[in-house]
Amino acid sequence: MAGATRSTLANQETSGTDLAAAAAIGLSTILFVLSVASLAEQLSITGSISGVPTVTLLGGLLVLLGGTVASFGVSSRLGYVETNADHSAGLIAAVAAGIPWFLIGGGFASETLGLGAVAGLAVGVLIGGTAFAATAFPREDVGSTVPIGALSIVTGLVFLTSVLGPEWVWDLGWEQTASLTAEFVIPVLTLLNAMYAGWAAAKAYGGFGARGRHVGAYVLVYLNALSIVAFLFVLVAFTVVRGIPGLLTGAEFGWGVGPGTTVGVGGFGFTLSLPFSVPFVMNGVALMNDFQGVLPAIVGTIWLVVGAVLFAVPLGIGAAIFLTEYAEQGPFTQVVEIATNGLWSTPSIVFGLFGFAFLIPRFGNSKSLLAGMLTLGFMLLPLVLITSREAMISVPDEYRDASAALGVSKWQTIQSVVLPAALPGVVTGVILGVGRIAGETAPILLTMAGGTFVPGSQTADVIGGFEFIASPPFVTNPELLQATSALPYQLFALITAGVGLGENVANPEEFRWATALILLVVVLSFYAVGIATRYYFRRKLSYE
Amino acid sequence: MSFITTLIKRGRSRLREVARRQGRRARDFVDETESEALAVVTVVALSLVAALVGFLLVSALTVVPLATFVVATVYGWFRHQEVTARVLTLTTTVSTLLILGLIIVFIFLESIPIVRYESATVFGVTVPGLRLFVETRWDAVSDPVRFSMVPMIHGTVMVTLIATAVAAPLGVSAALFLSEIAPAPVREVVKPGVEILAGIPSIVYGFIGFTILSPWASDQFRLNGQGTYLFVGIVVGLMALPTVVSVAEDALSSVPESIKSGSLAVGTTDWQTMTSITLPAAFSGVSAAVLLGVGRAIGETMAATVMLKGVPRLTDPLYNVFYGQETLTSIIARNYGDADGLQMDALFIAGVILFVTVLFISIGSQYIEWRMRRQFGGDV
Amino acid sequence: MSEIEPTEQTQTKTDAGSAQPLQTTSGESEEQLHEEWIDYRFDGETKLAVETLDVHYGDDHALKDVSMEIPEKSVTALIGPSGCGKSTYLRCLNRMNDRIKSARVDGSVQLDGEEIYQDGVDLVELRKRVGMVFQSPNPFPKSIRENISYGPRKHGDIDTSLLARLSGRSDEEAEERLVKRSLKQAALWDEVNERLDDNALGLSGGQQQRLCIARALATDPEVLLMDEPASALDPIATSKIEELIHELSREYTVVIVTHNMQQAERISDQTAVFLTGGKLVEYGDTDQIFESPRSQRVEDYINGKFG
Ligand SMILES: Nc1ncnc2c1ncn2[C@@H]1O[C@H](COP(=O)(O)OP(=O)(O)OP(=O)(O)O)[C@@H](O)[C@H]1O
Ligand SMILES: [Mg+2]
Repeated sequence: MAGATRSTLANQETSGTDLAAAAAIGLSTILFVLSVASLAEQLSITGSISGVPTVTLLGGLLVLLGGTVASFGVSSRLGYVETNADHSAGLIAAVAAGIPWFLIGGGFASETLGLGAVAGLAVGVLIGGTAFAATAFPREDVGSTVPIGALSIVTGLVFLTSVLGPEWVWDLGWEQTASLTAEFVIPVLTLLNAMYAGWAAAKAYGGFGARGRHVGAYVLVYLNALSIVAFLFVLVAFTVVRGIPGLLTGAEFGWGVGPGTTVGVGGFGFTLSLPFSVPFVMNGVALMNDFQGVLPAIVGTIWLVVGAVLFAVPLGIGAAIFLTEYAEQGPFTQVVEIATNGLWSTPSIVFGLFGFAFLIPRFGNSKSLLAGMLTLGFMLLPLVLITSREAMISVPDEYRDASAALGVSKWQTIQSVVLPAALPGVVTGVILGVGRIAGETAPILLTMAGGTFVPGSQTADVIGGFEFIASPPFVTNPELLQATSALPYQLFALITAGVGLGENVANPEEFRWATALILLVVVLSFYAVGIATRYYFRRKLSYE
Repeated sequence: MSFITTLIKRGRSRLREVARRQGRRARDFVDETESEALAVVTVVALSLVAALVGFLLVSALTVVPLATFVVATVYGWFRHQEVTARVLTLTTTVSTLLILGLIIVFIFLESIPIVRYESATVFGVTVPGLRLFVETRWDAVSDPVRFSMVPMIHGTVMVTLIATAVAAPLGVSAALFLSEIAPAPVREVVKPGVEILAGIPSIVYGFIGFTILSPWASDQFRLNGQGTYLFVGIVVGLMALPTVVSVAEDALSSVPESIKSGSLAVGTTDWQTMTSITLPAAFSGVSAAVLLGVGRAIGETMAATVMLKGVPRLTDPLYNVFYGQETLTSIIARNYGDADGLQMDALFIAGVILFVTVLFISIGSQYIEWRMRRQFGGDV
Repeated sequence: MSEIEPTEQTQTKTDAGSAQPLQTTSGESEEQLHEEWIDYRFDGETKLAVETLDVHYGDDHALKDVSMEIPEKSVTALIGPSGCGKSTYLRCLNRMNDRIKSARVDGSVQLDGEEIYQDGVDLVELRKRVGMVFQSPNPFPKSIRENISYGPRKHGDIDTSLLARLSGRSDEEAEERLVKRSLKQAALWDEVNERLDDNALGLSGGQQQRLCIARALATDPEVLLMDEPASALDPIATSKIEELIHELSREYTVVIVTHNMQQAERISDQTAVFLTGGKLVEYGDTDQIFESPRSQRVEDYINGKFG
């Protein structure tokens, strides 16, 4: 009980009983890993691990885990183990224990016994309510371990007795047919039980009471954070592993294998060649090519980003300057703020629709690079505005006052004081925003993108594309006004093109993964640069 | 929404005053500014307006006022920088607002025909667009041609619910971890990780979902064909996760340190302090974070487009999450290509629904954050 | 583990008044002259023993080599000019400095003979025993009642949750008694008894300060650290708080920071004077410090000649 340890500040040394709780945590970890592995099809439910059938092994471990957890609670209640258990495990634990028992009771009555929905509900409420009461009303050490331990034991026994064997299937009986199969249900049940029992064991490890709940909660929070990082890692690693073969198809390294450029120096012309050749990123698609590539899409993406930045950054920063420095703070700025935030959350496909309805008719009624640039620019604009405003607002007023006190005019103050101080925030915001739009598919789908495969000859050459003509608008750039491709669109087109792909590329699957990889590399490098910039500025600021 | 009403009320009561003040300011501006600068500024403003009108009217002559604008601006920049800078920044502000206005005007305009077409009569009153929401049939080919939004709204609701169930608890827990629990070196790893997660393009998620998850789910649940709301929801939830994490983390770390220490000083665990003090105090910010996550989930397009079946109909039964038909976003991305006439307009009405819903969510979350700032006064 | 090391017991029993220069590191000779270390001995048991305590905030050396023993069931006043490290020192006694990322604490603090800066110390347990009233009031954004009963609830001493009510062991009456007692002790009851369910953020600054005192009392700590608890109070409330502190010193060990010399003189049994630079300059019986300080600088400070 609380107060029993009042005379000592330091935690007691690890005892044998703590080891039991720690072992239970370890056991849940093993079960967690096993169930994730079998969900990821790395471990077969029908197979066996070192001679023991997988289901039997999982069942046995679950029974062991449940037994350990429950007996730890009981021995604490009987005073064999010293803990600081409270009166009650609390409402959250009671609800958490009640729900699975409700489902078990209900499912058993209505499906296994075939009593129907009403009886199932009644039995479910009865069993769930019992579990709730068994958690809420006994002392915490019993309440937070026994119902959850029993859950693991029951699940384990169901596995062991083959009530739920590897061949188990439950047809849900819906019009659109769907079934729950053992392959899915067994790992998921194991996973949930492992998490429940791990939570209970962690509370036991902390000696119940406030510290126990702290430990229990921290285990779950750390697990969540770890899972997010692991998920990210797996996602990226998976794409890399799958994408590399396609990316390197036909790649050569060595002197003079790359595409060359002829450089003329004083009458002598000689050819400079890159020391590597990676056709996937250096070629377009053409009948004559040995290896097909996505060069037009890469170039298209780059031009898109350049165009969007050229459009949105001056506009956004200008508006931010006006709103923070010139405009009177009041209803007007507030409305603008609400509007920009609204614009920022507007779904990208809506921007696409807008571009489709507004820009396309104005650029010769066909999809074009320029329309794509502007649409992405519209998307980027609110972000630039928001981050620039934030950065400018956080520039202390003293700076402005100091400058104004020297008789410097407003615009000069902005130029020489506010903008430099706000620069880090603006730059970081812009780079992260660029990363975001570089990966956007939906808006360019409607405004810019052309066919699935763009021949290498159609790689956009915006700079060389300007032409002067005699009639208004006097200057045109066909390169800007024609549809081209971009990486995200290219990937989308590859996905939807389906079987027809095989005629164009040798190995469609590899080609797709390689495209995904290139896209990921391009977008994440923007992010990497953005995050690095932020660190750089932060460190510089903290040293100043 | 009291803050809107406050805004409006305050705005209305002060409108006259503001107008008077603006009038005075404009007069002062005219009085104080040299006449040449004034002329330049006028040319800049007029030429810009003319260029805009030209652009809206799809005129090839747009380039003339645009060139005038550029020349006048460049001239003004060198001769009257102070004034020109001010006018230029004002111009950019107005352009930003104009873009928002144009978006609203254009997507609403384009959707008017379909609203007319799908009118229905109840009790003798013709309600425009009613059939969009009371029938469930979407068929652009065979008679009667109908463009009900109900199946897509159902799909969006399903996906959003599942996504929220994923993103909200995991996101808030991760935000707690980052803002209150993680030791500095761990945070330095996890935080950029979450940001990178936000950066992975949705089409990549969609691609992995399409090639890995969909076949897997189809196999596991013995489904006919591929595409389930369940897994689209989970994927979209993971995509909305970073939004929830970063906004919720901001809210949590803006809870004043003094009350956190106050709680710890009476002898509570970190976890008790988080659940009893920090989370309740940041409740509005955290709910704003979840709301924004919901907004992201609603607007998510590409993952849904490539993972769903693309057949607009309700699932049977309605809660059958193992089948994924179509959402408001995916129907646009899938059908824009071969749509024309009414069907194209129907896509615009889907866009309108999306736009309005997400705008309301955005305003709602801003309102919540505004209230939170008020609650803590200057402390935040 | 409440045994106190025998050496320490004998140490505390040695006679008062024997001044020993322990610190001989100071820079300027003038300072050295004045800042003679006073190794003060008192009657009674040691509650807190601080030895060679150094605190850095980053590169900023905020507290320099402080050693002092605080007797139990007494009032110890800490005085000194602003920024000299009083709050820092106070925060060392319940390890609230752990919350400040840049802070580094070296040295030793023993509570009832047990080191609080060793590995495995349960901070929750420590802070239950060493309560704190912060320099600026920090009520929780909750009702007045919840503010008071917050500590006991979290310690599991009071439980009025739905479950507790369901199982018939709700402590509502105990809570009511506790809230009333604590608020009365903090001289706040009369002002707020009508609105216990109002948000505490709606109280005035002085009321918030007393609420925080009441909140600290409600958890029944052994040691109470108070950082200028009367800075925002009117004379009547101040005298009530002083009375309270006097009362408390029969049962509790009180360490109080104050900028008010008269207050220190009135309420404390012993006084420690910190001077700029984070040094403990003099420590002794309050009477002795105020009547015949050994250091010239302390005398100047007390008489308001510098600060
Ligand atoms: N969180 C912190 N981070 C960095 N430096 C700090 C921090 N808290 C205090 N300091 C520094 O430590 C020194 C002592 O501060 P402290 O708050 O202990 O002074 P004090 O004696 O309580 O002053 P006052 O009477 O004004 O409350 C000061 O120089 C202060 O700048
Ligand atoms: Mg202080």
